[in-house]
Formats: sequence, structure tokens, C-alpha cells
Amino acid sequence: MNLEELKKLKAKAQRQVALREGSKKYRVVVSMGTSGIAAGAREVMKTMLDEIEKRGLEDVEVRVAGEVGLEDVEPVIRVEEAGGEKTTYARLDTEKAKKIVAEHLEKGKKVDNLAIGKEKKPE
Amino acid sequence: MFDELSLHILDVAMNSLAAGARTVQIMVAEHARRDRLTIRIQDDGRGMDGEMLRRVLAGSVTTKRFRKKSIGLGLALLRQTAEMCGGKFEVHSTPGVGTTVTATMKLLHVDLPPLGDLNATILALCAANPEVDVQLDYLSDMERFHFSSKELAEKKASSRPGKFRDGEEKTNYEPGRTQKVESESAAAGCLA
Repeated sequence: MNLEELKKLKAKAQRQVALREGSKKYRVVVSMGTSGIAAGAREVMKTMLDEIEKRGLEDVEVRVAGEVGLEDVEPVIRVEEAGGEKTTYARLDTEKAKKIVAEHLEKGKKVDNLAIGKEKKPE
Repeated sequence: MFDELSLHILDVAMNSLAAGARTVQIMVAEHARRDRLTIRIQDDGRGMDGEMLRRVLAGSVTTKRFRKKSIGLGLALLRQTAEMCGGKFEVHSTPGVGTTVTATMKLLHVDLPPLGDLNATILALCAANPEVDVQLDYLSDMERFHFSSKELAEKKASSRPGKFRDGEEKTNYEPGRTQKVESESAAAGCLA
């Protein structure tokens, strides 16, 4: 760990603070319990934050949850849309995370081969 | 289990958030001269009573029962890492007041995992709950660094909305807090 890296943290955290103001179209919830962290959830989350910033997506917020009960398929994220639709993606890595940002969060197209479970349509 | 110490920190601090903490203070002190690494995570969450603490520290035995609350395994893992690296592990908790987790390790121990990406850990915690003030104090023989997510938010609120440059941010130590840490480590130095 060096001090330069830590100093960059401030600028970066500041941009994240700016990003999460107001209500967003998409909310990404990363499962960050012990099992998620062990499986690489932090790297998935970091990649998504970087990618969202790089693509200038302002209508997305990223949050974190504890264990979500899907320990065997971690890292897991859930994408919630403003309309109420929820998609759960599992067994992620940084490459898959990038794909989800590019497809789902930027173009609004779900990545079906990474999604698990049944679609939850808004009632 | 975790190949970076910063993942341990993230895991333990997530428990603090789950306990409803408003402030999470993380301290990482690397003192090469004394061959000591200290990690402390302090929160003002709801705390644990003696029985709960005993169960949590027992580790994997209780994880299934407490899985929904996502506590149980994390502290046991950190204890394992600390004890494996010639160090000590302590938890102090008072119901209604908060919890302090302290792990010390030998900095030069051959099994010591790297500190890893502390930035990613802090960013994840900031994103986890924007209402919580996540603080980091990093100390070493040569350097010190203080970070507080609340200060960032306040600074931003007082500046022009929406626009800011990277260069705008200044290093702003909280003199009181830093001194406190300083005097603690100085005291520890005398003891050592």
C-alpha cells in the first residue's frame, strides 16, 4: 500500500458520491457477505464502478447487500429497474461484470446467459 | 480463505453496517521497525452481549444458524489469520455502544497475506451505505493518511453542485483524531 494510491481514493470516492444523487433508472445491488467477498464480489463491484464511470452512465447507482442466500453461486448481483423488474446475475467475474454494464445498464438489454432464476415482473 | 487483508477488513466492516453503525473507523498501522501490523475496525453499531460474542467467535459452527444476518464466519477467519501470523485478535463489544475488533500480526511473518486493494474495500463500504461515515486512518513509519466519506459529502455540498475537479480536493486531517491515534501509537511504542 502506498500513499499515492490512497490519495487517489479521495478523488474516486468523491465521484462516486456525485454519481449516486437523485433517483436512478437502475440500481445494482452487489452481494457482499463473507461468501461473496471470498468469491470476488469486491473486484466485480470495483469493475462495475469503473466501467459505469468510463461509460458515463449517470442513471445507475451501485449498492451493497450482505449475504443473499446464494452462497454457492457467488459473486451475485441484482439489477433492479425503476419499473420494479429485477434480474439476478450469478457466478460473475470482472469480464462478465463489464458485459452486464455494457449490455444491460447501457443498452437496456438483459444478458440472459448470465441471469439466474425466474424473472420478477412488476405487479 | 481471504488472500488479502483488505478483504478481511471489508468483511468485518460489513458486519458493522449490518449492526446499524453510523460511523465505521478503520485503522491500519504498519510499523516495520516494530515488526507489527495492526488492524482495527471500530463502530457505533448495536454491539453484542457476551453470549452472542462467544457464538460469533466460535466461527463456522454457528454460520448456518446466523447466515441470514451474515455474521459468524468473518471474525473467526480474521482471528485465524491473525493467530497464524504471530499476532493477536481481540473483540470488545458493548450492547448499544458498539464493537471494536483489533487484530495484530507480525509484519514480516512469512504467512502474512498482502494488504491488497484497500481502496476497493473503502469504496465498496462507501457505496454500501452512503449515510454511514466510513473513516480510514492509515499509518506507517513514514506516512499517514486520513479519509472520511462524510467529510467528502460535506465538502461537496458546500462546493458548486455537479462540477468539481480532481485537483480541488485537499488533504484535510482532523487534527484531534490524528493526534489521538498518534498518542496511542506513541504509547504503544513505549510499551514495546
